[in-house]
Amino acid sequence: MALFPLSSNFEGDFVLQLVPVDDEQTMDEVAAACAEHSVNRRVRPQPDKVMRVRRHSTGDLFPRDMKVKDAGLMPTETVDIIFADS
Amino acid sequence: MPLLDRSEYYDLIRTTNWTPSYVPEDELYPEEMSGSRGIPMEKWETFDEPYKVAYGEYVANQREKDAGAYSVKAALERSNFVDNADPGWISILKAHYGAISVPEYAAMTGEARMARFSKAPGNRNMAVFGMMDETRHGQIQLYFAHEHTRRSRQWDWAHKAMHANEWGALAARHFFDDMMMTRDAISVSLMLTFAFETGFTNMQFLGLAADAAQAGDHTFANLISSIQTDEARHAQQGGPNLKILIENGKKDEAQQMIDVAFWRSWKLFSVLTGPMMDYYTPLESREQSFKEFMQEWIIGQFERQITDLGLDTPWYWDEFIRALDETHHGMHLGVWYWRPTVWWNPAAGVTPEDRDWLEEKYPGWNDTWGNVWDLIIENLTEGRPELTGPATLPMICNMSNIPIVGTPSNGWNVKDYPLVHNGRLYHFGSEPDRWCFEQDPERYQGHLNFIDRFLAGWIQPPDLSGGLAYMGLAPGEIGDDAHNYEWVARYMPAQAAAS
Repeated sequence: MALFPLSSNFEGDFVLQLVPVDDEQTMDEVAAACAEHSVNRRVRPQPDKVMRVRRHSTGDLFPRDMKVKDAGLMPTETVDIIFADS
Repeated sequence: MPLLDRSEYYDLIRTTNWTPSYVPEDELYPEEMSGSRGIPMEKWETFDEPYKVAYGEYVANQREKDAGAYSVKAALERSNFVDNADPGWISILKAHYGAISVPEYAAMTGEARMARFSKAPGNRNMAVFGMMDETRHGQIQLYFAHEHTRRSRQWDWAHKAMHANEWGALAARHFFDDMMMTRDAISVSLMLTFAFETGFTNMQFLGLAADAAQAGDHTFANLISSIQTDEARHAQQGGPNLKILIENGKKDEAQQMIDVAFWRSWKLFSVLTGPMMDYYTPLESREQSFKEFMQEWIIGQFERQITDLGLDTPWYWDEFIRALDETHHGMHLGVWYWRPTVWWNPAAGVTPEDRDWLEEKYPGWNDTWGNVWDLIIENLTEGRPELTGPATLPMICNMSNIPIVGTPSNGWNVKDYPLVHNGRLYHFGSEPDRWCFEQDPERYQGHLNFIDRFLAGWIQPPDLSGGLAYMGLAPGEIGDDAHNYEWVARYMPAQAAAS
Protein backbone atom coordinates (compact mmCIF):
# COMPACT_ATOMS: atom_id res chain seq x y z
CA MET A 1 0.00 0.00 0.00
CA ALA A 2 1.66 3.17 -1.15
CA LEU A 3 0.38 6.45 -2.45
CA PHE A 4 1.10 6.80 -6.15
CA PRO A 5 0.54 10.16 -7.91
CA LEU A 6 -0.64 10.05 -11.50
CA SER A 7 -1.38 12.68 -14.09
CA SER A 8 -4.92 12.16 -15.38
CA ASN A 9 -5.73 13.03 -18.98
CA PHE A 10 -9.47 12.44 -19.07
CA GLU A 11 -11.21 12.14 -22.43
CA GLY A 12 -13.07 15.34 -23.22
CA ASP A 13 -11.50 17.40 -20.43
CA PHE A 14 -9.22 20.38 -21.06
CA VAL A 15 -6.45 19.93 -18.51
CA LEU A 16 -4.14 17.33 -17.00
CA GLN A 17 -4.82 16.82 -13.30
CA LEU A 18 -2.88 15.36 -10.40
CA VAL A 19 -4.70 12.32 -9.02
CA PRO A 20 -3.20 10.39 -6.13
CA VAL A 21 -4.07 6.67 -6.19
CA ASP A 22 -2.89 3.63 -4.26
CA ASP A 23 -0.47 1.30 -6.01
CA GLU A 24 -2.66 -1.66 -5.01
CA GLN A 25 -5.61 -0.24 -6.93
CA THR A 26 -6.71 -1.70 -10.23
CA MET A 27 -6.96 0.26 -13.44
CA ASP A 28 -10.76 0.32 -13.12
CA GLU A 29 -10.29 1.93 -9.73
CA VAL A 30 -7.79 4.40 -11.19
CA ALA A 31 -10.33 5.33 -13.86
CA ALA A 32 -12.98 5.89 -11.20
CA ALA A 33 -10.59 8.04 -9.12
CA CYS A 34 -9.73 10.16 -12.16
CA ALA A 35 -13.41 10.43 -13.13
CA GLU A 36 -14.13 12.07 -9.76
CA HIS A 37 -12.17 15.10 -10.95
CA SER A 38 -13.62 15.38 -14.46
CA VAL A 39 -16.98 13.66 -14.90
CA ASN A 40 -19.99 15.81 -14.03
CA ARG A 41 -17.57 18.71 -13.58
CA ARG A 42 -16.44 19.36 -17.14
CA VAL A 43 -17.14 16.06 -18.87
CA ARG A 44 -20.57 14.47 -19.25
CA PRO A 45 -20.90 10.87 -18.04
CA GLN A 46 -21.32 8.09 -20.61
CA PRO A 47 -23.14 5.40 -18.64
CA ASP A 48 -23.25 2.98 -21.55
CA LYS A 49 -19.45 2.94 -21.78
CA VAL A 50 -16.66 1.69 -19.57
CA MET A 51 -13.74 3.85 -18.63
CA ARG A 52 -10.39 2.39 -19.61
CA VAL A 53 -6.90 3.48 -18.70
CA ARG A 54 -4.13 3.63 -21.25
CA ARG A 55 -0.52 4.68 -21.21
CA HIS A 56 -0.38 8.22 -22.56
CA SER A 57 3.00 7.84 -24.24
CA THR A 58 2.09 4.72 -26.25
CA GLY A 59 -1.72 4.58 -26.31
CA ASP A 60 -1.63 0.97 -25.04
CA LEU A 61 -4.62 0.00 -22.91
CA PHE A 62 -3.90 -1.49 -19.51
CA PRO A 63 -5.89 -4.62 -18.49
CA ARG A 64 -8.80 -3.51 -16.35
CA ASP A 65 -7.71 -5.62 -13.37
CA MET A 66 -4.03 -4.71 -13.57
CA LYS A 67 -2.72 -3.13 -10.38
CA VAL A 68 -0.90 0.19 -10.54
CA LYS A 69 2.24 -1.35 -9.02
CA ASP A 70 2.40 -3.86 -11.90
CA ALA A 71 1.92 -1.34 -14.70
CA GLY A 72 5.49 -0.04 -14.87
CA LEU A 73 4.35 3.55 -14.49
CA MET A 74 6.58 6.29 -13.11
CA PRO A 75 5.17 8.51 -10.36
CA THR A 76 3.26 11.43 -11.97
CA GLU A 77 3.27 9.71 -15.37
CA THR A 78 0.30 10.72 -17.49
CA VAL A 79 -2.42 8.16 -18.20
CA ASP A 80 -5.38 8.64 -20.53
CA ILE A 81 -8.82 7.69 -19.29
CA ILE A 82 -11.04 7.00 -22.25
CA PHE A 83 -14.60 5.86 -22.77
CA ALA A 84 -14.70 2.44 -24.46
CA ASP A 85 -17.25 -0.24 -25.26
CA SER A 86 -15.50 -2.87 -23.15
CA MET B 1 19.01 74.66 -23.20
CA PRO B 2 21.95 72.80 -24.80
CA LEU B 3 23.96 74.98 -27.15
CA LEU B 4 24.48 72.18 -29.64
CA ASP B 5 21.93 70.03 -31.37
CA ARG B 6 22.13 66.43 -30.10
CA SER B 7 23.16 65.10 -33.48
CA GLU B 8 26.27 67.30 -33.31
CA TYR B 9 27.68 65.78 -30.12
CA TYR B 10 25.95 62.45 -29.52
CA ASP B 11 28.43 60.21 -31.29
CA LEU B 12 31.30 61.79 -29.37
CA ILE B 13 29.82 61.54 -25.89
CA ARG B 14 28.73 57.98 -26.52
CA THR B 15 32.29 56.92 -27.25
CA THR B 16 33.12 55.81 -23.74
CA ASN B 17 35.18 52.67 -24.30
CA TRP B 18 38.82 52.85 -23.28
CA THR B 19 41.77 50.53 -23.03
CA PRO B 20 41.98 49.43 -19.42
CA SER B 21 45.43 49.48 -17.84
CA TYR B 22 44.79 48.56 -14.21
CA VAL B 23 42.86 45.33 -14.92
CA PRO B 24 42.61 43.14 -18.00
CA GLU B 25 39.56 43.55 -20.22
CA ASP B 26 38.07 40.23 -19.17
CA GLU B 27 38.08 41.36 -15.54
CA LEU B 28 36.45 44.64 -16.43
CA TYR B 29 33.89 42.78 -18.51
CA PRO B 30 33.64 39.22 -17.13
CA GLU B 31 32.22 36.99 -19.87
CA GLU B 32 29.43 35.59 -17.69
CA MET B 33 28.11 39.12 -17.15
CA SER B 34 29.07 40.71 -20.45
CA GLY B 35 28.24 37.90 -22.87
CA SER B 36 30.48 39.26 -25.59
CA ARG B 37 31.00 35.73 -26.96
CA GLY B 38 34.53 36.36 -28.14
CA ILE B 39 33.50 39.26 -30.36
CA PRO B 40 36.16 41.98 -29.99
CA MET B 41 35.51 45.34 -28.38
CA GLU B 42 35.76 47.31 -31.61
CA LYS B 43 32.91 45.31 -33.10
CA TRP B 44 30.67 46.19 -30.16
CA GLU B 45 31.55 49.83 -30.71
CA THR B 46 29.60 49.71 -33.97
CA PHE B 47 26.37 49.42 -31.93
CA ASP B 48 24.11 52.15 -33.26
CA GLU B 49 20.81 52.62 -31.52
CA PRO B 50 17.96 53.74 -33.77
CA TYR B 51 16.37 55.89 -31.06
CA LYS B 52 18.78 58.34 -29.49
CA VAL B 53 18.30 60.47 -26.43
CA ALA B 54 20.53 62.57 -24.19
CA TYR B 55 20.12 63.02 -20.45
CA GLY B 56 18.68 66.51 -20.47
CA GLU B 57 15.94 65.73 -22.94
CA TYR B 58 15.28 62.40 -21.25
CA VAL B 59 14.57 64.13 -17.95
CA ALA B 60 12.39 66.76 -19.59
CA ASN B 61 10.41 64.12 -21.50
CA GLN B 62 9.94 61.89 -18.49
CA ARG B 63 8.84 64.78 -16.32
CA GLU B 64 6.23 65.68 -18.87
CA LYS B 65 5.02 62.08 -19.11
CA ASP B 66 4.79 61.70 -15.36
CA ALA B 67 2.98 65.02 -15.04
CA GLY B 68 0.46 63.84 -17.62
CA ALA B 69 -0.22 60.46 -16.04
CA TYR B 70 -0.44 61.82 -12.48
CA SER B 71 -2.65 64.71 -13.57
CA VAL B 72 -5.14 62.40 -15.25
CA LYS B 73 -5.17 60.21 -12.15
CA ALA B 74 -5.73 63.20 -9.87
CA ALA B 75 -8.43 64.66 -12.08
CA LEU B 76 -10.36 61.42 -12.34
CA GLU B 77 -9.99 60.23 -8.76
CA ARG B 78 -13.25 61.88 -7.72
CA SER B 79 -15.19 60.23 -10.51
CA ASN B 80 -14.92 56.92 -8.64
CA PHE B 81 -14.45 54.99 -11.86
CA VAL B 82 -13.22 51.96 -9.96
CA ASP B 83 -16.33 51.84 -7.79
CA ASN B 84 -18.61 51.90 -10.79
CA ALA B 85 -16.63 49.92 -13.36
CA ASP B 86 -17.54 46.45 -14.53
CA PRO B 87 -16.05 43.91 -12.06
CA GLY B 88 -14.37 42.14 -14.98
CA TRP B 89 -12.41 45.30 -15.71
CA ILE B 90 -11.41 45.64 -12.05
CA SER B 91 -10.04 42.10 -12.21
CA ILE B 92 -7.87 43.11 -15.15
CA LEU B 93 -6.39 45.94 -13.11
CA LYS B 94 -5.69 43.70 -10.11
CA ALA B 95 -4.14 40.95 -12.23
CA HIS B 96 -2.08 43.44 -14.24
CA TYR B 97 -0.68 45.32 -11.26
CA GLY B 98 0.26 42.11 -9.43
CA ALA B 99 1.92 40.51 -12.43
CA ILE B 100 3.71 43.59 -13.78
CA SER B 101 4.52 46.22 -11.13
CA VAL B 102 7.28 44.53 -9.12
CA PRO B 103 8.84 42.76 -12.13
CA GLU B 104 9.53 46.28 -13.42
CA TYR B 105 12.18 46.47 -10.70
CA ALA B 106 13.58 43.16 -11.91
CA ALA B 107 13.70 44.66 -15.41
CA MET B 108 15.66 47.53 -13.91
CA THR B 109 18.25 44.97 -12.79
CA GLY B 110 18.43 43.61 -16.33
CA GLU B 111 18.93 47.12 -17.68
CA ALA B 112 21.61 47.68 -15.04
CA ARG B 113 23.46 44.60 -16.26
CA MET B 114 23.61 46.09 -19.76
CA ALA B 115 24.48 49.54 -18.38
CA ARG B 116 27.50 48.10 -16.58
CA PHE B 117 28.63 45.06 -18.54
CA SER B 118 27.74 45.52 -22.20
CA LYS B 119 30.83 46.14 -24.28
CA ALA B 120 28.78 48.34 -26.59
CA PRO B 121 28.98 51.95 -25.36
CA GLY B 122 25.68 52.83 -27.01
CA ASN B 123 24.03 49.91 -25.27
CA ARG B 124 25.40 51.04 -21.90
CA ASN B 125 24.15 54.57 -22.51
CA MET B 126 20.66 53.50 -23.50
CA ALA B 127 20.46 51.03 -20.65
CA VAL B 128 21.03 53.80 -18.10
CA PHE B 129 17.85 55.39 -19.38
CA GLY B 130 16.25 51.95 -19.41
CA MET B 131 17.09 51.56 -15.72
CA MET B 132 15.38 54.83 -14.93
CA ASP B 133 12.42 53.86 -17.13
CA GLU B 134 11.89 50.61 -15.27
CA THR B 135 12.21 52.29 -11.89
CA ARG B 136 9.54 54.77 -12.98
CA HIS B 137 7.31 51.92 -14.14
CA GLY B 138 7.65 50.07 -10.85
CA GLN B 139 6.94 53.16 -8.79
CA ILE B 140 4.06 54.55 -10.81
CA GLN B 141 2.20 51.23 -11.07
CA LEU B 142 2.59 50.49 -7.36
CA TYR B 143 1.40 54.00 -6.58
CA PHE B 144 -1.62 53.85 -8.87
CA ALA B 145 -2.73 50.54 -7.37
CA HIS B 146 -2.14 51.63 -3.81
CA GLU B 147 -5.03 54.08 -3.54
CA HIS B 148 -7.41 51.16 -4.04
CA THR B 149 -6.15 49.02 -1.15
CA ARG B 150 -8.93 50.54 0.99
CA ARG B 151 -11.39 48.90 -1.39
CA SER B 152 -10.06 45.35 -1.19
CA ARG B 153 -6.97 43.50 -0.03
CA GLN B 154 -6.66 42.04 -3.52
CA TRP B 155 -5.28 45.41 -4.67
CA ASP B 156 -2.39 44.96 -2.25
CA TRP B 157 -1.20 42.11 -4.45
CA ALA B 158 0.32 44.75 -6.72
CA HIS B 159 3.11 44.66 -4.18
CA LYS B 160 2.58 41.23 -2.66
CA ALA B 161 2.30 38.88 -5.64
CA MET B 162 5.96 38.65 -6.52
CA HIS B 163 6.83 37.98 -2.88
CA ALA B 164 4.33 35.12 -2.59
CA ASN B 165 4.27 31.52 -3.79
CA GLU B 166 0.97 31.92 -5.62
CA TRP B 167 1.20 29.72 -8.73
CA GLY B 168 0.81 32.54 -11.28
CA ALA B 169 3.43 34.56 -9.46
CA LEU B 170 5.75 31.53 -9.51
CA ALA B 171 5.24 31.32 -13.28
CA ALA B 172 5.95 35.02 -13.78
CA ARG B 173 9.04 34.93 -11.55
CA HIS B 174 10.43 31.84 -13.28
CA PHE B 175 10.00 33.60 -16.61
CA PHE B 176 11.37 36.99 -15.60
CA ASP B 177 14.26 35.43 -13.65
CA ASP B 178 15.16 33.48 -16.77
CA MET B 179 14.94 36.42 -19.18
CA MET B 180 16.43 39.28 -17.23
CA MET B 181 17.80 38.36 -13.82
CA THR B 182 20.15 35.51 -14.67
CA ARG B 183 21.52 36.27 -18.11
CA ASP B 184 24.53 38.17 -19.43
CA ALA B 185 24.09 41.69 -20.83
CA ILE B 186 23.80 40.66 -24.47
CA SER B 187 21.30 37.90 -23.69
CA VAL B 188 19.20 40.38 -21.71
CA SER B 189 19.19 42.74 -24.68
CA LEU B 190 17.91 39.99 -26.97
CA MET B 191 15.57 38.10 -24.67
CA LEU B 192 14.13 40.94 -22.59
CA THR B 193 14.27 44.00 -24.79
CA PHE B 194 13.94 42.45 -28.24
CA ALA B 195 11.80 39.34 -27.81
CA PHE B 196 9.69 40.32 -24.81
CA GLU B 197 9.43 44.08 -25.04
CA THR B 198 9.36 44.56 -28.81
CA GLY B 199 7.09 41.59 -29.21
CA PHE B 200 4.84 41.40 -26.23
CA THR B 201 4.71 44.51 -24.08
CA ASN B 202 3.09 46.22 -27.05
CA MET B 203 0.22 43.81 -26.50
CA GLN B 204 -0.11 44.50 -22.80
CA PHE B 205 0.48 48.23 -22.91
CA LEU B 206 -1.04 49.29 -26.23
CA GLY B 207 -3.64 46.58 -26.82
CA LEU B 208 -4.92 46.82 -23.28
CA ALA B 209 -4.78 50.63 -23.41
CA ALA B 210 -7.20 50.50 -26.32
CA ASP B 211 -9.57 48.35 -24.27
CA ALA B 212 -9.10 50.64 -21.26
CA ALA B 213 -10.06 53.70 -23.25
CA GLN B 214 -13.13 51.87 -24.57
CA ALA B 215 -14.04 50.88 -21.03
CA GLY B 216 -13.75 54.51 -19.88
CA ASP B 217 -10.70 53.85 -17.68
CA HIS B 218 -8.72 56.86 -18.83
CA THR B 219 -6.41 56.73 -15.82
CA PHE B 220 -5.19 53.24 -16.68
CA ALA B 221 -5.15 53.91 -20.42
CA ASN B 222 -3.00 56.98 -19.84
CA LEU B 223 -0.71 55.18 -17.40
CA ILE B 224 0.10 52.22 -19.58
CA SER B 225 0.40 54.31 -22.74
CA SER B 226 2.90 56.48 -20.86
CA ILE B 227 4.87 53.36 -19.93
CA GLN B 228 4.80 52.08 -23.48
CA THR B 229 6.51 55.20 -24.80
CA ASP B 230 9.52 54.23 -22.67
CA GLU B 231 9.32 50.61 -23.77
CA ALA B 232 9.29 51.66 -27.41
CA ARG B 233 12.64 53.37 -26.85
CA HIS B 234 14.54 50.95 -24.63
CA ALA B 235 13.22 47.87 -26.47
CA GLN B 236 15.48 48.93 -29.31
CA GLN B 237 18.66 47.81 -27.57
CA GLY B 238 18.31 44.26 -28.80
CA GLY B 239 18.27 45.02 -32.52
CA PRO B 240 21.78 46.53 -32.81
CA ASN B 241 23.27 43.75 -30.66
CA LEU B 242 21.48 41.18 -32.78
CA LYS B 243 23.04 42.74 -35.87
CA ILE B 244 26.52 42.52 -34.33
CA LEU B 245 26.00 38.88 -33.33
CA ILE B 246 24.84 37.92 -36.82
CA GLU B 247 27.70 39.79 -38.52
CA ASN B 248 30.15 37.93 -36.33
CA GLY B 249 28.93 34.41 -36.93
CA LYS B 250 26.66 34.05 -33.90
CA LYS B 251 23.33 33.83 -35.68
CA ASP B 252 22.47 30.38 -34.34
CA GLU B 253 23.06 31.47 -30.76
CA ALA B 254 20.99 34.61 -31.28
CA GLN B 255 18.20 32.64 -32.93
CA GLN B 256 18.10 30.19 -30.02
CA MET B 257 17.80 33.01 -27.46
CA ILE B 258 15.00 34.69 -29.40
CA ASP B 259 13.18 31.40 -29.88
CA VAL B 260 13.31 30.56 -26.15
CA ALA B 261 12.33 34.06 -25.04
CA PHE B 262 9.52 34.40 -27.55
CA TRP B 263 7.88 31.09 -26.63
CA ARG B 264 8.18 31.76 -22.94
CA SER B 265 6.68 35.23 -23.39
CA TRP B 266 3.78 33.81 -25.39
CA LYS B 267 2.93 31.28 -22.70
CA LEU B 268 2.90 33.96 -19.97
CA PHE B 269 0.65 36.15 -22.09
CA SER B 270 -1.69 33.24 -22.79
CA VAL B 271 -2.56 33.11 -19.10
CA LEU B 272 -2.36 36.83 -18.32
CA THR B 273 -3.45 38.86 -21.33
CA GLY B 274 -5.57 36.34 -23.25
CA PRO B 275 -8.27 35.94 -20.58
CA MET B 276 -8.24 39.69 -19.93
CA MET B 277 -8.96 40.58 -23.53
CA ASP B 278 -11.41 37.84 -24.47
CA TYR B 279 -13.28 37.23 -21.23
CA TYR B 280 -12.73 39.94 -18.57
CA THR B 281 -13.08 43.06 -20.72
CA PRO B 282 -16.79 43.88 -21.00
CA LEU B 283 -18.06 42.84 -24.40
CA GLU B 284 -18.92 46.37 -25.52
CA SER B 285 -15.39 47.57 -24.69
CA ARG B 286 -13.41 44.96 -26.60
CA GLU B 287 -11.36 46.63 -29.30
CA GLN B 288 -10.25 43.36 -30.89
CA SER B 289 -9.95 39.74 -29.85
CA PHE B 290 -6.73 38.53 -28.24
CA LYS B 291 -6.02 36.56 -31.39
CA GLU B 292 -6.51 39.64 -33.56
CA PHE B 293 -4.19 41.68 -31.35
CA MET B 294 -1.63 38.87 -31.56
CA GLN B 295 -1.99 38.72 -35.32
CA GLU B 296 -1.47 42.46 -35.63
CA TRP B 297 1.29 43.03 -33.09
CA ILE B 298 3.12 39.74 -33.14
CA ILE B 299 2.55 38.02 -36.44
CA GLY B 300 2.40 41.24 -38.41
CA GLN B 301 5.03 43.43 -36.76
CA PHE B 302 7.37 41.16 -34.81
CA GLU B 303 7.68 38.59 -37.58
CA ARG B 304 8.68 41.36 -39.99
CA GLN B 305 11.26 42.69 -37.53
CA ILE B 306 13.00 39.40 -36.97
CA THR B 307 13.18 38.59 -40.65
CA ASP B 308 14.37 42.13 -41.50
CA LEU B 309 17.23 41.65 -39.03
CA GLY B 310 18.28 38.43 -40.70
CA LEU B 311 16.78 35.87 -38.34
CA ASP B 312 14.30 33.16 -39.21
CA THR B 313 10.85 32.86 -37.74
CA PRO B 314 11.07 30.45 -34.79
CA TRP B 315 10.94 26.77 -35.76
CA TYR B 316 7.64 26.36 -33.90
CA TRP B 317 5.87 29.21 -35.75
CA ASP B 318 3.10 26.96 -37.13
CA GLU B 319 2.40 25.58 -33.66
CA PHE B 320 2.36 29.12 -32.24
CA ILE B 321 -0.22 30.23 -34.81
CA ARG B 322 -2.32 27.14 -34.13
CA ALA B 323 -2.16 27.73 -30.38
CA LEU B 324 -3.67 31.23 -30.78
CA ASP B 325 -7.03 29.47 -31.11
CA GLU B 326 -6.55 27.30 -28.07
CA THR B 327 -4.15 28.01 -25.22
CA HIS B 328 -5.66 31.12 -23.68
CA HIS B 329 -9.15 29.59 -23.68
CA GLY B 330 -7.73 26.74 -21.60
CA MET B 331 -5.87 29.12 -19.32
CA HIS B 332 -9.04 31.12 -18.79
CA LEU B 333 -11.15 28.07 -18.01
CA GLY B 334 -8.45 26.84 -15.63
CA VAL B 335 -8.10 30.16 -13.84
CA TRP B 336 -11.87 30.45 -13.47
CA TYR B 337 -12.25 26.85 -12.25
CA TRP B 338 -9.35 27.19 -9.77
CA ARG B 339 -10.47 30.75 -8.96
CA PRO B 340 -9.70 30.58 -5.21
CA THR B 341 -6.01 30.33 -6.15
CA VAL B 342 -5.65 33.77 -7.76
CA TRP B 343 -5.55 37.27 -6.25
CA TRP B 344 -8.24 38.65 -8.51
CA ASN B 345 -11.83 37.65 -9.24
CA PRO B 346 -11.96 35.96 -12.65
CA ALA B 347 -14.87 37.01 -14.85
CA ALA B 348 -16.42 33.98 -16.55
CA GLY B 349 -17.27 35.98 -19.66
CA VAL B 350 -19.70 33.42 -21.03
CA THR B 351 -23.10 35.13 -21.22
CA PRO B 352 -25.04 34.20 -24.39
CA GLU B 353 -23.79 37.41 -26.05
CA ASP B 354 -20.21 36.71 -24.99
CA ARG B 355 -20.50 33.27 -26.48
CA ASP B 356 -21.77 34.60 -29.79
CA TRP B 357 -18.73 36.86 -29.91
CA LEU B 358 -16.37 34.00 -29.00
CA GLU B 359 -17.91 31.80 -31.69
CA GLU B 360 -17.48 34.58 -34.24
CA LYS B 361 -13.86 35.22 -33.28
CA TYR B 362 -12.98 31.56 -32.69
CA PRO B 363 -15.20 29.38 -34.89
CA GLY B 364 -15.91 26.08 -33.13
CA TRP B 365 -15.70 27.59 -29.64
CA ASN B 366 -19.21 26.41 -28.71
CA ASP B 367 -18.50 22.85 -29.84
CA THR B 368 -15.42 22.58 -27.64
CA TRP B 369 -14.99 25.09 -24.80
CA GLY B 370 -18.66 25.91 -24.89
CA ASN B 371 -19.65 22.33 -24.11
CA VAL B 372 -17.54 22.43 -20.95
CA TRP B 373 -19.05 25.76 -19.92
CA ASP B 374 -22.52 24.29 -20.56
CA LEU B 375 -21.88 21.66 -17.90
CA ILE B 376 -20.47 24.24 -15.48
CA ILE B 377 -23.54 26.42 -16.06
CA GLU B 378 -25.86 23.45 -15.49
CA ASN B 379 -24.11 22.74 -12.21
CA LEU B 380 -24.58 26.35 -11.16
CA THR B 381 -28.21 26.65 -12.24
CA GLU B 382 -29.14 23.29 -10.72
CA GLY B 383 -27.54 23.89 -7.34
CA ARG B 384 -24.29 21.95 -7.57
CA PRO B 385 -21.69 24.73 -7.11
CA GLU B 386 -19.30 22.29 -5.41
CA LEU B 387 -18.73 20.72 -8.83
CA THR B 388 -17.55 24.04 -10.27
CA GLY B 389 -14.46 24.42 -8.11
CA PRO B 390 -11.21 22.61 -7.55
CA ALA B 391 -10.87 19.24 -5.80
CA THR B 392 -7.32 18.54 -6.95
CA LEU B 393 -4.50 20.38 -8.71
CA PRO B 394 -3.89 20.79 -12.42
CA MET B 395 -0.60 19.40 -13.70
CA ILE B 396 1.85 22.24 -14.23
CA CYS B 397 4.38 22.62 -17.03
CA ASN B 398 7.99 22.47 -15.85
CA MET B 399 8.93 25.31 -18.21
CA SER B 400 6.02 27.76 -18.29
CA ASN B 401 4.84 26.85 -14.77
CA ILE B 402 1.23 27.17 -15.88
CA PRO B 403 -1.31 24.36 -16.33
CA ILE B 404 -1.00 21.84 -19.15
CA VAL B 405 -4.10 22.38 -21.26
CA GLY B 406 -5.57 21.54 -24.65
CA THR B 407 -8.89 21.66 -26.41
CA PRO B 408 -11.71 19.77 -24.66
CA SER B 409 -14.92 18.04 -25.71
CA ASN B 410 -15.35 17.39 -29.43
CA GLY B 411 -11.87 18.68 -30.20
CA TRP B 412 -10.14 16.73 -27.40
CA ASN B 413 -6.38 16.87 -27.97
CA VAL B 414 -4.85 17.35 -24.51
CA LYS B 415 -1.30 16.09 -24.50
CA ASP B 416 1.63 15.83 -22.13
CA TYR B 417 5.16 16.32 -23.43
CA PRO B 418 7.20 14.41 -20.87
CA LEU B 419 10.96 14.16 -20.50
CA VAL B 420 13.00 11.97 -18.17
CA HIS B 421 16.16 13.85 -17.29
CA ASN B 422 18.64 12.54 -14.73
CA GLY B 423 15.99 10.13 -13.46
CA ARG B 424 13.35 12.82 -12.88
CA LEU B 425 10.14 12.91 -14.90
CA TYR B 426 9.36 16.41 -16.14
CA HIS B 427 6.08 17.46 -17.74
CA PHE B 428 5.67 20.10 -20.42
CA GLY B 429 2.64 21.71 -21.99
CA SER B 430 3.97 21.72 -25.55
CA GLU B 431 6.87 20.62 -27.72
CA PRO B 432 8.42 24.12 -27.63
CA ASP B 433 8.24 24.16 -23.81
CA ARG B 434 10.14 20.87 -23.71
CA TRP B 435 12.56 22.17 -26.33
CA CYS B 436 13.31 25.26 -24.19
CA PHE B 437 14.25 22.95 -21.31
CA GLU B 438 16.44 20.81 -23.54
CA GLN B 439 18.46 23.84 -24.69
CA ASP B 440 19.92 24.21 -21.20
CA PRO B 441 18.79 21.47 -18.78
CA GLU B 442 21.28 22.48 -16.08
CA ARG B 443 19.68 25.88 -15.95
CA TYR B 444 16.16 24.61 -15.34
CA GLN B 445 16.44 21.12 -13.85
CA GLY B 446 16.50 22.10 -10.18
CA HIS B 447 13.35 24.19 -10.16
CA LEU B 448 10.30 22.74 -8.44
CA ASN B 449 6.96 23.79 -9.86
CA PHE B 450 3.83 23.96 -7.72
CA ILE B 451 3.05 20.24 -8.20
CA ASP B 452 6.64 19.23 -7.42
CA ARG B 453 6.43 21.25 -4.20
CA PHE B 454 3.11 19.65 -3.32
CA LEU B 455 4.53 16.16 -3.84
CA ALA B 456 7.67 17.07 -1.88
CA GLY B 457 5.48 17.78 1.14
CA TRP B 458 6.06 21.53 1.19
CA ILE B 459 2.32 22.22 1.23
CA GLN B 460 0.59 21.26 4.45
CA PRO B 461 -2.07 20.19 4.99
CA PRO B 462 -1.99 18.73 1.46
CA ASP B 463 -5.37 20.14 0.45
CA LEU B 464 -6.90 23.38 -0.81
CA SER B 465 -6.55 25.12 2.55
CA GLY B 466 -2.86 24.18 2.74
CA GLY B 467 -2.39 25.27 -0.85
CA LEU B 468 -3.97 28.66 -0.24
CA ALA B 469 -1.87 29.14 2.90
CA TYR B 470 1.29 28.25 0.98
CA MET B 471 0.34 30.71 -1.73
CA GLY B 472 -0.24 33.46 0.83
CA LEU B 473 -3.87 33.89 -0.12
CA ALA B 474 -5.79 35.01 2.94
CA PRO B 475 -9.54 35.54 3.31
CA GLY B 476 -10.41 38.72 1.42
CA GLU B 477 -7.73 37.99 -1.14
CA ILE B 478 -8.95 34.63 -2.44
CA GLY B 479 -10.53 34.88 -5.87
CA ASP B 480 -14.17 34.20 -6.68
CA ASP B 481 -16.42 34.86 -9.67
CA ALA B 482 -16.06 38.55 -10.58
CA HIS B 483 -19.78 39.11 -11.04
CA ASN B 484 -20.82 37.04 -8.04
CA TYR B 485 -22.48 34.56 -10.45
CA GLU B 486 -25.12 37.10 -11.50
CA TRP B 487 -24.53 36.10 -15.13
CA VAL B 488 -25.76 32.58 -14.30
CA ALA B 489 -29.28 33.98 -13.98
CA ARG B 490 -29.27 34.45 -17.75
CA TYR B 491 -29.33 30.67 -18.01
CA MET B 492 -32.10 30.04 -15.47
CA PRO B 493 -35.05 28.49 -17.34
CA ALA B 494 -37.40 31.44 -16.73
CA GLN B 495 -34.78 34.03 -17.68
CA ALA B 496 -33.64 32.10 -20.71
CA ALA B 497 -37.20 31.80 -21.94
CA ALA B 498 -37.74 35.53 -21.47
CA SER B 499 -34.58 36.53 -23.34
